[in-house]
Amino acid sequence: MNTVIIFALLVVLMLTGMPISISLGLTVLSFLFFLTQVPIESVALKLFTGIEKFEIMAIPFFILAGNFLTHGGVAKRMIRFATSMVGHFHGGLGLAGVLACALFAAVSGSSPATVVAIGSILLPAMVRAGFPNRFGAGVITTSGALGILIPPSIVMVMYSVSTNTSVGALFMAGVIPGIVLATMLGLLTWYRARSRDYPRQPRVSWVGRLKAFRDSFWGLLLIVIVMGGIYTGLFTPTEAAAMSAVWAFIAAVFIYRDLRLKDVPRVLLASANMSAMLLYIITNAMLFSFLMTHENIPQAMADGMLGTGVGLIGFLLIANVLLLAAGNFMEPSSIVLILAPILFPIAVKLGIDPVHFGILMVVNMEVGMCHPPVGLNLYVASGITRMGITELTIATWPWLLTMLVFLVLVTYWPPLSIWLPQQLGMVTAAR
Amino acid sequence: MLKVLDHLEEWLISFLMGAATLIIFAAVVHRYLSGFAIPGVQDWLLGLNLGWAQELCIIMFVWMAKFGAAYGVRTGIHVGVDVLINRMHEGRRAKFIVFGLLAGALFTGIVGTLGATFVWENGAHHAIFHALGVATDTPEGPTTPDLEAPTWIVYSAVPLGSYLMCFRFLQVTWGFVRTGELPHHDQGKVEGLDDDSVPPPPGEEDKIYRMDDELHPRDKGEPR
Repeated sequence: MNTVIIFALLVVLMLTGMPISISLGLTVLSFLFFLTQVPIESVALKLFTGIEKFEIMAIPFFILAGNFLTHGGVAKRMIRFATSMVGHFHGGLGLAGVLACALFAAVSGSSPATVVAIGSILLPAMVRAGFPNRFGAGVITTSGALGILIPPSIVMVMYSVSTNTSVGALFMAGVIPGIVLATMLGLLTWYRARSRDYPRQPRVSWVGRLKAFRDSFWGLLLIVIVMGGIYTGLFTPTEAAAMSAVWAFIAAVFIYRDLRLKDVPRVLLASANMSAMLLYIITNAMLFSFLMTHENIPQAMADGMLGTGVGLIGFLLIANVLLLAAGNFMEPSSIVLILAPILFPIAVKLGIDPVHFGILMVVNMEVGMCHPPVGLNLYVASGITRMGITELTIATWPWLLTMLVFLVLVTYWPPLSIWLPQQLGMVTAAR
Repeated sequence: MLKVLDHLEEWLISFLMGAATLIIFAAVVHRYLSGFAIPGVQDWLLGLNLGWAQELCIIMFVWMAKFGAAYGVRTGIHVGVDVLINRMHEGRRAKFIVFGLLAGALFTGIVGTLGATFVWENGAHHAIFHALGVATDTPEGPTTPDLEAPTWIVYSAVPLGSYLMCFRFLQVTWGFVRTGELPHHDQGKVEGLDDDSVPPPPGEEDKIYRMDDELHPRDKGEPR
């Protein structure tokens, strides 16, 4: 009964359009105040301890790094490098878009940021080269979603915070699925471009490629800093995030000189603004999760779910549908913070690997970002291309369909995600 | 007066963001540098204890989160689910927006008060009365593990930040009722930075940053 009241309250408050963080907090306060004997002062303590974890602090650092990269000319050089490598194939610039998104995703933790960084430079170039607007928009909108699958990833940090899974293992687990998805999107792009005979770029000599690589080297070095640092144990994920923020600053201001020193405070302010919003949602989601644990909801739901005799396959299907449905109304961070504490105990009881389940959630979030009504990538791309949302949705569907196929693959074939962390000894062997 | 508050808020969160990054960077560099046997330097480095860096970083980010959330109200970055209310006609939608903003003010007000009580009872009472020379039998508050700073100072971010946020919600509500305008946040844009890409046609310069999505409440009278 309490479960129904809590969720009804949350949904009603959310539908009034108030910020998600506020509706989470108000649900907790009103439930505790009207329906329990819990002294409301106990909430006060939770307010302080909610975000006092060093792991969470990776989020502001990754956001800061991402902002330096977006405005510091790193994206531009990655696009040039990607074009020199794959530009001569059919649909060359489209393929370069996929590759550039994958590269940028490997240094940034957010999807909309990837779409902005790559799309705002590449999309106008594609139109000038003679590609239809729709084609480019479709490629970039969906490839941008790689931002949260290829590590580092802010959504993965969120998942790790709410389920106590290792961030390092999650990051490693994202590598192979990320490469697979990028390959799938690339193949589709190539196939469609070939059958429609879209323009190709002139082939670039190996000398030219080497030059493009050297030019983007300082940006690409971030991949080594983050992944190498975490893998070798030189840094914790949060330290790696701080190192990448400092490095992105040095690259943007001193090496590439695309960002002036006097612009730095504005980048700091924008990053602080975005980080504070996410941290505020986390604080309130922690309150909400405290309430759920207090009322024993995740446990009751897990028992209820297992009692119905739903097996592994059935549960994974339900989880996917639920996550995709939630993707219609909320942005990824909120979904992960609200749903992970509920779904996670069930998954664990069914013997699903926590890391595998995390990747599954992330891929679901990726799909949610690419379709209306609240796909952030879609809106960002719509802003860049000046296409309507409906037209853009039609433009993205072939790639979106590919992502759904990929989702099924990730869901029902765990080795795809957990093989690499297992090999690295970051996850114990499958039970 | 309000301008001063605005600038103070912006300055504080930018500073905390930058400083926390540098502190963690310094701590990591210190950890590895002190492993090298450089005569003189190594002893000096080993003498420095940066064990408090992690704690300080957390505290700075918690402060940044609380005050940044208040700044976020002013920039309209806190997103909600307004798929439903955006389908309503103007008058009713405006009522829901005001309701949402006032709910925000109510929540942050309550949280601020809870936080203030907590801070008061965990050392502020003792410390302030002590400083004023008033004799009380209140217990001294706890301190943080590494920095050994009184926790009530650290935690006062919650009442201060929440009351500021409450004030911002009321400010935005007042602005909306008077002018029908809401602050809008632009995803992925940094104020004042622009790329040298193709200039947009006249009148559409801000097109990229208009958020005609379902995530951001529209102004009164703005077409869907």
